Amino acid sequence: MTVTETRAMLAQGGDRGASGHATAPRKRRYTEDQVSLGRVVLRTLAGLVVLVVFILPYLIMFFGSVKTKAQIRSVDPTYFPTEWHWENYLNMWSTPETPLPQNMVSTIVISVFATLLVLAVALPAAYYTARFRFPFRMVFLFLVIVTQMLQPAVLTSGLFRQFAALGMIDTWSAMIFINAAFNLSFAVWIMHSFFAGIPKEVDEAAQIDGAGRLTVLFRINLPLVWPGIVTAIVFTFVACWNEFAASLVILSTAGNQPMSVALTKFVGQYETSWHYVFGVSIVAIIPVVVLFMLIEKRLVGGLTAGSVK
Amino acid sequence: MRALPWIAPALILIFGVVLFPAGVMFYNSTRKISLSGLDQGSVGFDNYVEVFTFPYFWPIFIRTIVWVVVVVAFTVVISLGLAQILNKAFPGRRIVRLAVIIPWAASVVMTTMVVYYGLEPYFGIINKFLVDVGLVATPEGYGWTKNPTTAFAWSIVVAIFVSLPFTTYTILAGLATVPNDTLEAARMDGAGPARTYFTVVLPQLRGALSVAVLINIINVFNSLPILRVMTGSIPGYDADTIMTMIFKYIQNQHKVDVASALSVVAFLIVIVIVAVYVKVVKPTREI
Amino acid sequence: MKKSLRLGAAVALAATASLTLASCGFGGGDSGGDSAGGKTTLDLLVPSYSDNTEQLWNDVIDGFEAENTDIDVKLEVQSWDNLESVVTTKIQGGEAPDIYNGGPFAGFAADGLLYAAEEVVSPETFSDFQDSFIKNAEVDGTAYALPLIASARALFVNNALLQQAGVNEAPTNWDELLGAATKVSALGGGVAGYGMPLGSEEAQAEAAVWLWGGGGSFGDAEAITVDDPSNLPGAEQIKKMIDAGATQADPGSTDRSPLMDIFIQGKIGMQVGLPPTVGQIEENNPDLDYQIVPIPTKDGSPFTLGVMDQLMAFNNDDGAKQEAITKFFDYYYSADVYVPWVQTEGFLPVTKSGAEALKGEEALAPFLEVLPDAQFYPSTNPKWQATDGAFKSLFGQIQSKPAQDVLTEIQAQVDAS
Repeated sequence: MTVTETRAMLAQGGDRGASGHATAPRKRRYTEDQVSLGRVVLRTLAGLVVLVVFILPYLIMFFGSVKTKAQIRSVDPTYFPTEWHWENYLNMWSTPETPLPQNMVSTIVISVFATLLVLAVALPAAYYTARFRFPFRMVFLFLVIVTQMLQPAVLTSGLFRQFAALGMIDTWSAMIFINAAFNLSFAVWIMHSFFAGIPKEVDEAAQIDGAGRLTVLFRINLPLVWPGIVTAIVFTFVACWNEFAASLVILSTAGNQPMSVALTKFVGQYETSWHYVFGVSIVAIIPVVVLFMLIEKRLVGGLTAGSVK
Repeated sequence: MRALPWIAPALILIFGVVLFPAGVMFYNSTRKISLSGLDQGSVGFDNYVEVFTFPYFWPIFIRTIVWVVVVVAFTVVISLGLAQILNKAFPGRRIVRLAVIIPWAASVVMTTMVVYYGLEPYFGIINKFLVDVGLVATPEGYGWTKNPTTAFAWSIVVAIFVSLPFTTYTILAGLATVPNDTLEAARMDGAGPARTYFTVVLPQLRGALSVAVLINIINVFNSLPILRVMTGSIPGYDADTIMTMIFKYIQNQHKVDVASALSVVAFLIVIVIVAVYVKVVKPTREI
Repeated sequence: MKKSLRLGAAVALAATASLTLASCGFGGGDSGGDSAGGKTTLDLLVPSYSDNTEQLWNDVIDGFEAENTDIDVKLEVQSWDNLESVVTTKIQGGEAPDIYNGGPFAGFAADGLLYAAEEVVSPETFSDFQDSFIKNAEVDGTAYALPLIASARALFVNNALLQQAGVNEAPTNWDELLGAATKVSALGGGVAGYGMPLGSEEAQAEAAVWLWGGGGSFGDAEAITVDDPSNLPGAEQIKKMIDAGATQADPGSTDRSPLMDIFIQGKIGMQVGLPPTVGQIEENNPDLDYQIVPIPTKDGSPFTLGVMDQLMAFNNDDGAKQEAITKFFDYYYSADVYVPWVQTEGFLPVTKSGAEALKGEEALAPFLEVLPDAQFYPSTNPKWQATDGAFKSLFGQIQSKPAQDVLTEIQAQVDAS
């Protein structure tokens, strides 16, 4: 049995598992059955409302970012900026407060490596716990999630002491480990729940064909749980991207700090450069949205998993 | 022991990093720590006594529970609806999907800041809008973030808003695993859309949804930045949850010891909540 | 099944490898090499006063390092919000900064963490500090901190609004203030008579303005006495102002900085400000018609709240560092370096030579004038930090609770610390 055949079988097996009916695979998607024009208009309207609601706060943020420092704190606010100070987006890269280009690099390096580390470590654990019963399986899953329940604000002092003892204060690697460790459990749980959704027979069939564990994992299971993996990746990446509490104390050199910490540098004792705070926030959102655009296809791709011929 | 190679890396990473600071937290909760952070010896359970004898402890405890329940419940219900919309085909769906991701991509602090800014009297655009449409009578706007009740209510709104993307996407990913043929079959059996949803789709979402709820419970319980920003300037303890109280112990009172004790209490509370949840919902149930 | 074990091990190995890779791969930016080549490294942790702060310190450091090539100064700037938790974390981790710029210092001194001031500056530099300031840095007769900057408060008055309300003279006592503020508030249109910031940002300052202006005090080096009958008149007067509608809405939870923005834009009649406020008005609304007058008190007697921030040196048991710190302080407090620094930040100088150099500064004149009547926070009391925190988190309740109850609650929180 080839891999494709196995997947096709899975599509049917999935059906059996859920409803007991075994029907031939269909090409049509659940989302695209015959719909009337009226319904499409209704959906588009609903989509539009969702769009507006989700963008609104960031529109306020964006408008703020093209105002001057004084305009933002105007007691007579306007809905739209009266002047557009696009130069804010240039100037913020070379402010005296913080070396933003370096902060951007820091954020990217820390988030990317922490996410990769999480994937490398969480994937096997999620797969194995979903596939096999073993002693302490529940204990393992529970222990893992327990680490998430600790309040970061209180843990920072212990983290600082630990990494000071290791001589890793003010290094990216310290933050990569910290981020990875604190996001591992959710990644394990998310992927676990998706692996658990795939019928075991698929694995068994493949193994009878002589495929090894890893082959089964990578060739058979992975394509089927892509939506789950994507969710876990985005979740981890975003959490690392915006992490603040530990970076604040672990990274002391301005150039090593991520953007979440850099933002606080614009807050003075009596005055805050809100236009930069907002501008930097907008800039910080973009890479995550781009990342999402790149992998969102995989999520949509998951929608058609059942129709592979 | 065959499990070890698969799960050992995860165990090493998590416990290598988390065990020590967690230990420090437990240890500190039984010590007396000076304002500048020096350990001045053991005090047994005095810090815990201080936590529980604090006159506002129980109101804060109840407010924490309200906070978690309301935020998570609304998040789940709205996300289910949102996922249904985003799962249907319509022109521009891709754009809408991207828009929904933004609150997730943006840092929670910044989203909260911008709402806070919008709600400020004099400066805020939301306040201006409310004045312009005649809902607020005073020309400078109303102090939404200056009164405990309204500030707390707005915090809930923000917390739901920032929890929606993750929850919605987990559900969307779950919907992607619903086999089409099952739906066809249900339809052929004469089930309407509502019945199909509740008898076929929802059960299939169980795995993804139950984990999403679990993660939300923990995250919302541990959430500090939203309330810290929205209620930060309000005196007294009428808008605090356990998390902001921990923060106030550290920031205002410089009592790392009592903050650690309260953290341990918070930790135990959330463990109990999660244990009950896992027992009842069984998110790790095998199919 | 052997096969699966081997593959599992491979996964584990890959994970471990990426761990190792990550740990040797990055030192992170330009950090690293702590004391390479026999250099002494000084860690300098400072708060951000304005958007100039980082640049000002970098200039100081560049000049200093040019003269002392064997010393390396590492600057860390934090916002005021995060400063204290960062320094506490560092102390707990045994990595206290060598030089720290902050407010409360008595707690550190009481824990024996600081060098005495005279151990880290030359006698010439030490004798250049103005006596009144160095006194505020003393615990049991020994100075443990070096005065850095000072500020005094005064009442900023919007002349146009007062005239519009028919008030011709700026108030000098509470009765006049209440009358004037009530009239200005009555103008309507979002205008407030008196800007009263009792929110968490700086509640202790506005509290001091009123409580001390009524003859009260927070205490001294030995005891904190917030719950004291002498503080009641001031607290009651605050309530009177609020109840008369003489203040902006929600004074109990209004922070200082945003409120000052509103004053600067001409929507508030009167508000207590400090030297940097002059620069803010200059920058944001130079057309504002305002004057600066002494803070009105109960009976009109002169008074101002003086605030001093300090530099302190943590004793990290390193003779070379102590020597380097001394060099740094001597360099920093030399008039050529210190005067431009303090001038740019817009505060009052704490050295005699600095005061001499800035004597003619017009913007500072109204503050230098009231400085002799300045009263300071009891910052030499180790409990001051807790008192400060208690005011920030509790005092604003005076808007809705009886004055006495609020004072009692603050005192109780201080006593429990």
